[in-house]
Formats: sequence, structure tokens, C-alpha cells
Amino acid sequence: MTGFVDLYTEADTFLHRMDPRVKIAAVLLLSILAFLLSSLYYLLVLLAFIFLLTYLAKATMSRTMFALKFVLRLMVLIIVLWPLFDPSGTPVLASLGPVKITVPAIVRGLTSAVRVGCLATVWYILMFTTSQRDLVRALVKLGLRFDFGLTLAISLRFFPTFISTIDSITDAQRARGMELGRGRLFKRSKNYVSVLVPAIVSALRTADTLALALQSRAYGARSDRTFLTEIKMRGTDYAALSVVLGLLVVPLVAKYFFSVPL
Amino acid sequence: MEPAQSATPKPGKTKRVKFVSPKTVALYGTLTALTAAITMATFVPFAPTKGYFNLGDAMVFFSGLSFGWRAGAICGGIGSAAADILLGSGYFAPYTLVAKGSEGLVSGLVGRTNKGKKWAVVLGIAAGGACMVLTYFLSELLILNVGWGPALTEAVGNIVQVTVGGTIGALLSHYVSKSYPALAKP
Repeated sequence: MTGFVDLYTEADTFLHRMDPRVKIAAVLLLSILAFLLSSLYYLLVLLAFIFLLTYLAKATMSRTMFALKFVLRLMVLIIVLWPLFDPSGTPVLASLGPVKITVPAIVRGLTSAVRVGCLATVWYILMFTTSQRDLVRALVKLGLRFDFGLTLAISLRFFPTFISTIDSITDAQRARGMELGRGRLFKRSKNYVSVLVPAIVSALRTADTLALALQSRAYGARSDRTFLTEIKMRGTDYAALSVVLGLLVVPLVAKYFFSVPL
Repeated sequence: MEPAQSATPKPGKTKRVKFVSPKTVALYGTLTALTAAITMATFVPFAPTKGYFNLGDAMVFFSGLSFGWRAGAICGGIGSAAADILLGSGYFAPYTLVAKGSEGLVSGLVGRTNKGKKWAVVLGIAAGGACMVLTYFLSELLILNVGWGPALTEAVGNIVQVTVGGTIGALLSHYVSKSYPALAKP
């Protein structure tokens, strides 16, 4: 079980104050940029830039490491396994039967690993600095139907609740003699049925109560919506958006119109 | 359970605005949350790939088999993608959305034909699982470009995960409809 369920860290930096829509756009544009770049050096520069932004967002080290854990595993896997499956190019460093380790293959593996690293860390700019509430609000502002937004908000609200429900059911079943850590893979997974069935039933009861609560508050009675907090684009938001757009457009033009190798 | 219901139109306005019924909003919201929570809370260490796998798939199959393809697609896709984002692997979220969404959709469509007979459930889980494994494999190979080695390694892990998840999902669907009879009636 993991310690946190929300990557958001409370702070007052320029990234926290920025309009969440700009941050969503930044994540998408920088992801496209990572796909566009094919040189190891430029990808490393991009990765450094993203880490600079997460540093400026005052992300704590433990949270970053927690988030990076799964990505690092994939990156190591790529770096180790890519050369074994890619025998093309010269010079050949070592060969054993059909397996050849070549220098270009190692570089390609590193490039791909750094690109995956960029694609993964760029999300932290958004997730470390935007509360879930703001995120849903921004998605609704961007054109998501508000009833879908409400569904999303409900699920984000109940996510930590259900995690603690699952934890306490696990404890209760353990107290009755269930052993989660014993047996082979399938046996071990099957033990979870005795945790999941009560968890699902309790969630379905919650859903029934929630539906009554929504109905009693006249959900869907009016077709127009008002918002408690309005999000507005300010001057700095437009400036940030144009900077990020420039970061994508300049390399794009350089690569495809002036054929600069990037 | 009806999937959608139109609200009373505002007087003076001719345009009818459609709302999803509160029952559906509540059910889909909780199922999505539960999918994300189970994905995060049930880590089973898995030796061959030195990784972990989770029982999130069981919940996707359960949603699809018990509530139909729409719930399977929405709750499976969005719940698993949200778990990815919250766990810090947001770059996987778009592929997860497609992979788990199609998994829930196909298992719901196929698994509920013929009133959910055993062979239909097995076929649905197999077809849904194949969708998920293929989507992940192709998106890792073609879009993320991780190379054959990691893509194959992940595919093996995914096949094991989907087999275990499918079995547990079918068991869940069976047991929950017994212990929560409101679910059993269509």
C-alpha cells in the first residue's frame, strides 16, 4: 500500500497560480515535442527543463521519487534490452551467436528511454501543482459535459475513501485468519476475492445513497449551470501559453522547413 | 437501470438538455473510484518480470459483466487511467484509457450475450483481455517506441495479469450478484 493518493503539493508558486487549462495545454504540447525530437542531447535538455519546472514547483523529493519509481523501471528495461533486440549498425561492441551489441543500438535505446522519461515527468508539472478540484473545473471549462465532470469529481472524491475501506476490510479478514501473502500467484490473488466482494458491495450501497442525495438536491433540475469559482485567463497565463507554444513551434519549423537535425 | 434520462426543460426554453440520471452518475462515479482504488491497493509481487501486478482488471471485467458494456468501457477506462495518473505514470494514461476501455467494452458486449452463460463469460473475458494486451503491446512498440524487448516483457506480464484478473472478475460478478440481490435483476 502506498502512502499518498494525491500528488498535489500545496504551495504558492507561479505554477500553482497558473490557469489549469494552460498547464493541460503545456503537458500536451511538451509531449508532442518529446515525440518530435529524435536526438539524445535535445531530449536530455528537455528532460532537464522539465525537472527545472518541477523544482520550481517546490515538489518534495519523496513525492518525486514515489512518482518516478515505475518510470525508472521501464527506462532501465529499455536501456538494457534495446541493444539485445537491435543488431543493426556498426561498430559492433560484442557478439554472441545471433546477438550483437552495437554502439548505435545503445544510443537508440538511451534516446528512447530519455523520451519515455520526458513523457512521464511532464505530467508532474500538472499533477504536482493542480488540485483535483481545479482539474475537473478546467476540464468542464474546456467543454466536458458537467454531468460527466460531476461523475469524475465523485470518483476522485471517493477514491481515497475506498482505499481506506479496502484496507480496513483487509485487516478484518486478516483477523479472521485470511493469509494474503501465502501461496502461489493465483492462490494469492484468489485470496483477494474475500476482500473485494465486501468492498464492491459497500461501494454499491454508497452509490445508492449518493443517488438519493443527488436527487434530493435537485440534480439536473436546471439546464444552465453557475459556478462557485470562475477560472479566468490572466496576462501571465497568456504569456506562459505563448512560451510553451513557441517551445513546440520553433523546433517544428526548424525540423520540417529548414531540415535542422533535431 | 436506465443509462440516460432527459431532465425537465427550463420553462421558456425549447431546447431540451439531456442529463445523465443521478443514479447513473452515482454508480459510474463509485465504480470508477473503486477501479482506481483496487488498482492501487492490490499489488501482488510478480517474480518473472521483477514487477508488480494489480487486480484492476478484475474490477474492469466485473463492471463490464455486471453492468454492461457502457459501464465497463467508462469505469474501466477512466478508472484505470486515473490510477495511472495518480500513481505518477501519466504518460501511460491515454493507452490505458483505450486498452482498459476496450477490455471492459468487449467483455461487457460478449460476456453478457445469451444471458451471461458460462461460455459467453469466458469468451468475453478472453476477447476483452486480448484487446488490452494488444493495445498495450502495439502502443508501446509503435508509439512509445520502447523496442521489442520491453514490449514483449510487458506483454507477458499483461497476459498473466489479464488471466488472473479475468478469473477473479468472473468470480466477483458471480459472488456479488449473490450477496447483493439488487444487482441480479436486470
